[in-house]
Amino acid sequence: MTTQQLTGRDNYFEDFVPGTVMRHARGKTVEALENVLITNLVMNTAQGHFNEHVMKDSRFGHRITFGGVTLSLVIGLAAQDTAENALAELSLDNIRFSAPVFHGDTLYAFSEVLAIGPSDRADAGIVTFRHWGVNQDEKVVFEGERRVLVKRRSHWVDK
Amino acid sequence: MAEDFIARAVSRPKGNHYEDFTIGRRFEHHWGRTINQGDNSLFTTLTLHYNPLYTNVEFARAHGHPDVVINPMLVFATVFGLSVEDLSEGGGAFLGVEALTFHAAVYPGDTLAARSTVVERRESASSKGMGIITWHTEGFNQQGVRVIDFKRTNLVNKRSPA
Repeated sequence: MTTQQLTGRDNYFEDFVPGTVMRHARGKTVEALENVLITNLVMNTAQGHFNEHVMKDSRFGHRITFGGVTLSLVIGLAAQDTAENALAELSLDNIRFSAPVFHGDTLYAFSEVLAIGPSDRADAGIVTFRHWGVNQDEKVVFEGERRVLVKRRSHWVDK
Repeated sequence: MAEDFIARAVSRPKGNHYEDFTIGRRFEHHWGRTINQGDNSLFTTLTLHYNPLYTNVEFARAHGHPDVVINPMLVFATVFGLSVEDLSEGGGAFLGVEALTFHAAVYPGDTLAARSTVVERRESASSKGMGIITWHTEGFNQQGVRVIDFKRTNLVNKRSPA
């Protein structure tokens, strides 16, 4: 088995056309499993993410999901289509959290190819995506741009 | 009285407020965090981030890495997490991130440390008793190599709401 057989064949650099918008296949319902576990794992001490009692008296009424979890889940939901053949994550920008995410909300991811361009290595190019995360009511909860170094099929598969 | 301890207790609050964030003030954040393979596998699988660089060591080695790569989103969340008590635990919504760069790969066993500098502050027009602060946060590995940096903006509670 070669490493090329371990990843998809429709998500190399040559496959990304600016203007294309993708609806990614899977959603994920956010629970304490994701929010509390990851918040505590990374030692984010803000108890609004893990103390239901104190949040009962807040304007939210419940624990809210850490933005770092929302971001990671939305990019994760987009990852098979936009990162499976990535050599490196380069940057993120214009990240916005436009609505709170509660336990029980379901997140879906959408991505647009904003730009493609060369990198400093011949076997990979840089793809810029805009990602959106929406909840079960199609309300946008997350938006952001991401630059990724993606393998060229010409070098990795068709050589 | 057994319950007397509650009446006698002195609160030990955590976190800073708007007034504490003068432009240029630097925070060297607490604790640090050694990231291990369990952290990386759990985070990557829970977030469905299907790039084998993070979950298949043979695949990672075939791409020139000495071990699996730590998922960069975990690097971000960890450096952010270490900064929370100093920066945002005092309350206020996390609004956004600008200009985040992943500078170098992180591997299992690497230890991350974080620091932040206050770069912008202004009053909030819409939220009474709050201000808006932007920090420049940087994460370093045990060799002092900067692995990530970003600008984060939050609503921040004032100490004494107007």
